[in-house]
Amino acid sequence: MVVTWRAAALMGLGVIPVLFLPANGTVLVWATVVILACVADVVLAASPRRVAVQRRVPASVRLRSEATSELVVRNASGRRLRAVVRDAWGPSAGAGPGRGSGERVRPASGGPGRHHVDLPDGEAARLPTTLVPERRGDRAAGGVTIRSLGPLGLAGRQVTLPVPGRLRVLPEFASRKHLPSRLARLREMDGRAAVQIRGEGTEFDSLREYVVGDDVRSIDWRATARRREVVVRTWRPERDRRVLIVLDTGRTSAARVGAADSTGAPRLDASIEAALLLAALAGHAGDRVELVAFDRTVRSRVAGAAGPRLMPAMAESLATVDPVLLETDWPGVVAQVRTRMTQRALVVLLTTLDPAAVENGLLPVVDQLARDHTVVVASVADEEVAGLRAGRETVAEVYDAAAAARGDLERTAVTTMLRRYGADVVEALPDDLAPRLADEYLALKAAGRL
Amino acid sequence: MTVPSPPPALTPAAPSPLAAPPAPTPPAAVSGASASPVNEPPVVIGDDTTGRSRAVSRWRRMRWPLTVLAAIALLVLFLAVVRPPTSADPYAPDNPEPDGAMAVAEVLKDQGVRITHVTSVADAVAAAGPDTTLLVTPNPSFFADDQISSLNRTGADLVVLSPDYSMVAGVTRNTVDSVYGEAAGPVQPQCDDPAAQAAGALDLRPGLFDTSTTSDTVRPDMCWPGAAGAFAYARLDFPNRSVTVVTDPAVIRNDSVLNEGSSALALWMLGQHEDLVWLVPNPMDVSTGDDEPTPAERGQVNAVMPPGSAPVALVALLAAVLLALWRVRRMGPLVVEDLPVLVRSAEATRGRARLYRAARARGHAAAGLRAAAANRVASRLGLARSSDANTVVDAVVAATNRPSQQVADLLYGPPPADDAALAELVRRLDILESEVHRP
Repeated sequence: MVVTWRAAALMGLGVIPVLFLPANGTVLVWATVVILACVADVVLAASPRRVAVQRRVPASVRLRSEATSELVVRNASGRRLRAVVRDAWGPSAGAGPGRGSGERVRPASGGPGRHHVDLPDGEAARLPTTLVPERRGDRAAGGVTIRSLGPLGLAGRQVTLPVPGRLRVLPEFASRKHLPSRLARLREMDGRAAVQIRGEGTEFDSLREYVVGDDVRSIDWRATARRREVVVRTWRPERDRRVLIVLDTGRTSAARVGAADSTGAPRLDASIEAALLLAALAGHAGDRVELVAFDRTVRSRVAGAAGPRLMPAMAESLATVDPVLLETDWPGVVAQVRTRMTQRALVVLLTTLDPAAVENGLLPVVDQLARDHTVVVASVADEEVAGLRAGRETVAEVYDAAAAARGDLERTAVTTMLRRYGADVVEALPDDLAPRLADEYLALKAAGRL
Repeated sequence: MTVPSPPPALTPAAPSPLAAPPAPTPPAAVSGASASPVNEPPVVIGDDTTGRSRAVSRWRRMRWPLTVLAAIALLVLFLAVVRPPTSADPYAPDNPEPDGAMAVAEVLKDQGVRITHVTSVADAVAAAGPDTTLLVTPNPSFFADDQISSLNRTGADLVVLSPDYSMVAGVTRNTVDSVYGEAAGPVQPQCDDPAAQAAGALDLRPGLFDTSTTSDTVRPDMCWPGAAGAFAYARLDFPNRSVTVVTDPAVIRNDSVLNEGSSALALWMLGQHEDLVWLVPNPMDVSTGDDEPTPAERGQVNAVMPPGSAPVALVALLAAVLLALWRVRRMGPLVVEDLPVLVRSAEATRGRARLYRAARARGHAAAGLRAAAANRVASRLGLARSSDANTVVDAVVAATNRPSQQVADLLYGPPPADDAALAELVRRLDILESEVHRP
């Protein structure tokens, strides 16, 4: 049971008869008329419980891109349905106003996802609502609320139907803009580019005829002796190496990084961007990529996906990874790596170089990893701390700069320790981490260290 | 009610016998998770409730609040029935406090006198008439002249307690004047009035003078004289009614009614007739009991609004209630979602800076800044990370041509003495750093 502004306006019109007959009895009669009209409207309104509703949502959408949630409403009430329908989504699903247009459907004011519907009995309409999700993960829809008004538009009935709906919001993968340039570098290394230089890569590929410009040191004299022409060996980067990306989802990944005047984004989001770019690059390079998201237990994993199935699997499994407010279990990470990787692999730890956390967690175990694998520790730096470091205006800012400098020194010490144990360290601002990590991968591949 | 969606038109009408029969699928299993294109999302009709089930769930939800409300209402009703209604107004017949007059009123009731308790002159005029007694208790404010004349016109025997000057003059037709007096101990009434004779000696505050002349048709009977010729009691017998004026209201007050003959005087004055109208004046009361309609009767919100404004205001109120009902109903419930952690990574650094500042740890702050600057300078000059202070100073001196002592002081000197010195140190470190280039 709902009333609309029209009921209030009708009540207000009672001023006119009251001015002619100024008595309380007039008010009573008018109020009775209004109440009877409202009751009649409620009785004559189409029953919202006899409206068939279906919600069509795409299975997944990339973060900050547009998706459409579509309600299919079919009027099976036996009466004309005049209603406002709300397609309810959580705030971070970024629902816009109703988008339908036509004589049956038009957008309604009052909030996102609302539609005016005017349907004769037995007819159906589609009510589209634009969603621009603002957060990664599964966004569950709320119910569908139907407020069915009577023929006078004074009052009506309202019900909220539990219509299921879920939109999986995949990571944005904004770092994919760095992919073409890195793939070009990869192709150069791969020998498909015009120039080929000895020493790029370490894996013997094939023999071919000498052309002017080839390094004479790469001439294979045995093969030349067997044939008439001079033959050179060609090399290519190793293929089918294993790359294991370990995503730390512990408490330090929940902290927000970004400029001081923005709300920032969790460290984990930058780590996910870096993981996606690395996976795309390594997948193109022919390496086998696996991923584990770990804090005290495995939160998500990708294994055995290759070729075109790799990136969808990565996006799907990284979509629902959220920071957990727990300390990461680094011995558990080592155990995971041991069980997953029996031969030498590139192990990329996407974590935080927080001195206290690293000293207690990662440092004691990193040498066990570095003994068997090539280890890269990648960490997201904070732009705000970089800003604090440069502050000189007031005394408070000088103290901020001193604290930032002290933090840098401690991080430098931790980095030095990690390098001493044989791990490579990449630390960069959120936007730079993905390309820097990709460059590190290419450098390792070029050096044949995989 | 949730029904499975109809199969697509292209589905074979007769599925192979090996295939499982299509069972109605619960919506949770169909939605999203297995989002293959064959699985249409479910069609939902209604919310699996009936009018009866909704009423039951509403009752289940509301029964405890309703029970509590009903219990409170019952308790209030019980207390209202069991406790006699009393008030705290001075001289009211239902006030049992020392300044009330419930004792006299109860005795009068026991003797068969019907007491009508009123608080406005209009009500008093309406209730009083010939063969009734109209008691006017002390007015905290003043009666207007038209109110006094209204009280005079009722035809009832008037008993006035502690009146002000204009009231005395009004009810006695200017035959009695009032002054302020002090009680000076019990005195005999010294008059022939039967009520006074019955009461005997009383300690009353005097304050009435007889100013009547021989030309007055009715002359007052003055009793209980005090100092300076003032009296405490005056009685005038007009042809159809009598007027009694008593300066001291203590004769009916609960705390003093038993003093000497006060009770006898009170009962004698008030028990003359079977009907007693007991007026406890209200200072805000301006009514006179004349036939003019009140603002409420004229359909006004108050005296300054035009006639007919009260029903219009009522209409506006009802419209406002409907507006509130319109706005208060939400379009469905709020959709909840888990919020992410909102802790900035820089908070640890800021916290440490505040600790430095609160502890005035300029030495620590300066050491951090110096070490960071030395680190940067050393790496720029290509020195090993493990280089000692002398090596760094020498390299910087070579790069900048600054005096060695100055560079050593800057990079490894004593901690600054105050905040200004710390800021100055940072500034000079920055300048030094900017002077160092790659060799």
